[in-house]
Amino acid sequence: MRWTCRAIFLSALTVLPGCSGVQSALSPRGVEALRIDPLFWTATGVGVAVTLMVVVLVAIALYGPPRWRARLGGDRMLIGGGIVLPMIVLTGLFTYGLLVMQAGAVRGGQEAGATVTITGKLWWWEVVYHTPDGGEVLSANELRLPVGRPVRLRLESDNVIHSFWAPQIAGKLDMIPGRTNQVVVEATEPAVSRGQCAEYCGGAHALMAFYVVAMPDADYEAWLAREAGPAAEPMSEQAARGREIFLEHGCGACHQVRGTEARGAIGPDLTHVGSRMSLAAGMMPNDAQAFARWITGSQHIKPENKMPPFGQFSDEELSALAAYLDSLE
Amino acid sequence: MRRFDRPWWRAVALGAGIAIVGAGLLGGAFVLSGLYNVAASREHFAITNAIIRLTLTRSVATRSMGIEAPDLSDERLAALGARHFASGCAPCHASPASVQNPIAAEMYPAPPALTQAAEEWNAAQLFWIVKHGLKFTGMPSWPALTRDDEVWALVAFLERLPESNAEEYAALAGSEGGAEDANLNFGEGRGRTEAFCDNCHGDAENPPVHPLAPSLAGQKEPYLLRALEEYAGGKRPSGMMQAVAAALAPEELARLAGHYAGQTGTATTPSDGEDEAIARGEEIARNGVREDDIPACLACHRAGTSGQFPRLDGLAPEYISTQLSLFREGARYRSTYSAIMRPIAERLSERQIEDLATYFASLSRQPGLEALPRPEASR
Repeated sequence: MRWTCRAIFLSALTVLPGCSGVQSALSPRGVEALRIDPLFWTATGVGVAVTLMVVVLVAIALYGPPRWRARLGGDRMLIGGGIVLPMIVLTGLFTYGLLVMQAGAVRGGQEAGATVTITGKLWWWEVVYHTPDGGEVLSANELRLPVGRPVRLRLESDNVIHSFWAPQIAGKLDMIPGRTNQVVVEATEPAVSRGQCAEYCGGAHALMAFYVVAMPDADYEAWLAREAGPAAEPMSEQAARGREIFLEHGCGACHQVRGTEARGAIGPDLTHVGSRMSLAAGMMPNDAQAFARWITGSQHIKPENKMPPFGQFSDEELSALAAYLDSLE
Repeated sequence: MRRFDRPWWRAVALGAGIAIVGAGLLGGAFVLSGLYNVAASREHFAITNAIIRLTLTRSVATRSMGIEAPDLSDERLAALGARHFASGCAPCHASPASVQNPIAAEMYPAPPALTQAAEEWNAAQLFWIVKHGLKFTGMPSWPALTRDDEVWALVAFLERLPESNAEEYAALAGSEGGAEDANLNFGEGRGRTEAFCDNCHGDAENPPVHPLAPSLAGQKEPYLLRALEEYAGGKRPSGMMQAVAAALAPEELARLAGHYAGQTGTATTPSDGEDEAIARGEEIARNGVREDDIPACLACHRAGTSGQFPRLDGLAPEYISTQLSLFREGARYRSTYSAIMRPIAERLSERQIEDLATYFASLSRQPGLEALPRPEASR
């Protein structure tokens, strides 16, 4: 018995780290998430209160004095506590929930300054920033947001249903093929948080994450201007050799690196891949070693993804290629 | 229960038991004693031969049921088969231009002259025998069981063999020495190995004998060497090429790769194709198909890229579609590079394969066809 208690306590402890950290839904840092937050606490609080009440009543029913127990079994208690109370509590919670979630309103109906289209892929995210002049800045696996400015997210998919969930920014919203779901989000403080696909979308569904980087408005503008530009020229001899290999071995068939002849549109845009928070949609740190591992063994890291294994490189070639990609900041 | 209820049951069971154990013991004693003569110089009894023969014909007939023979009327297909026959089969089976090798003739059973084969077996049965071989006869199975196309080439030749005299055989097998020359000697002043390769693949002036054998002139040298090494090492399936490449020394492979890569001029005559198919194929080759996750072929398969990626311009449509199908069906998967091509080929539809084959065949191979940048990125 003591061991069971200890085991339950310990396993509860392992869940607790989920309450804080980069993917916690309990530390909202966006307008949408902040609105949902009290709903969670209210529902949880009411649930706890009801549970406690039931426990007390059960205890009375089992061990209480005979008079109390007789009253518990009476008609008034049954009708009041069994029918009227649940109706009041559930109706109240339901109405509150509808109000908070603005049910019936279009979640994307608000005014927003910037627009970003995010497309669910197998298994990564294509992110396109629409600039006011009608231009498009192509990126992947990371969403940058200006703090304090509403941004319209257009969520799409060209394969199966995905669900976009950045817990600290907003609630989940499905990405459905042939349809564009919209939501307006607004980050409230500069922070890095993590999100992931929340709808089963195939074997590597669990390996489809992303980072949200909320940054001060001025920083965001500077970042977007940089992101819109072409790729950096290789600074080292090794990186230059890497670019040569990148182009000679046909990487450009699937990947785009703006400023080179690589114009592929099947895999993620790599123009500034070195500046992202992670590789392979939140699966690996962004360093040269991870690039090398992905190029040769992507099928082990994310089984059945669209990228074939490229095992033909010598150590020297692979290091150069990885160094080049790492330098694309 | 009384003891003698079923006396005859026990007698029968006891008798059968003794017979089985006795037969087992006798058989075991016979095998272990070494009395049976396995010598090839000693023939079977007539009755043994008849049973073996019956088992063989019945097995071939049953196993080859359901095999549909494709159209084998193409003379070029028979010529390709004849050229493999000359080096791969004739050493044991003899040919219209040669007598049987005395050593092969003493195999037991002796490899039959195949001039009668097409009368004895239909095309499907011949296909099955050539593909799977025959146990205990010395007849091997095809070295690449995924290459039905090659086996059919041989069947196309065997179908013609009964009518062939030595002259016709020599012409079909490409022997320059004519009927007198059983050993497929080729003209003087050229390397014998090159001439042997040219016999199927053609050279700078002459096209290949059949589209299944690709034109090699002007192909990239590292790719040619890798292809030969993969054939020699059993990594790329071909019953014809594996045998040829495995017999050559590594330095010879390198020399041949250099020889064909260095050939200029082109024997490939751009083949005609429906204009629309060519246009569709060109679109895929240049830009890929984004919704099907098909990358642009020319991103790798052109002159300016890694020497390991073959050029496809000017190759026969049948060759391209056959190889793409081999990738798609998972027959070509053993090499590092086939691991790249296989998942891409799997995304191609039958129609896309045909269009691509038509497009690449419509190009004449020139030293150029350099970088073809995509006109516009999709976004």
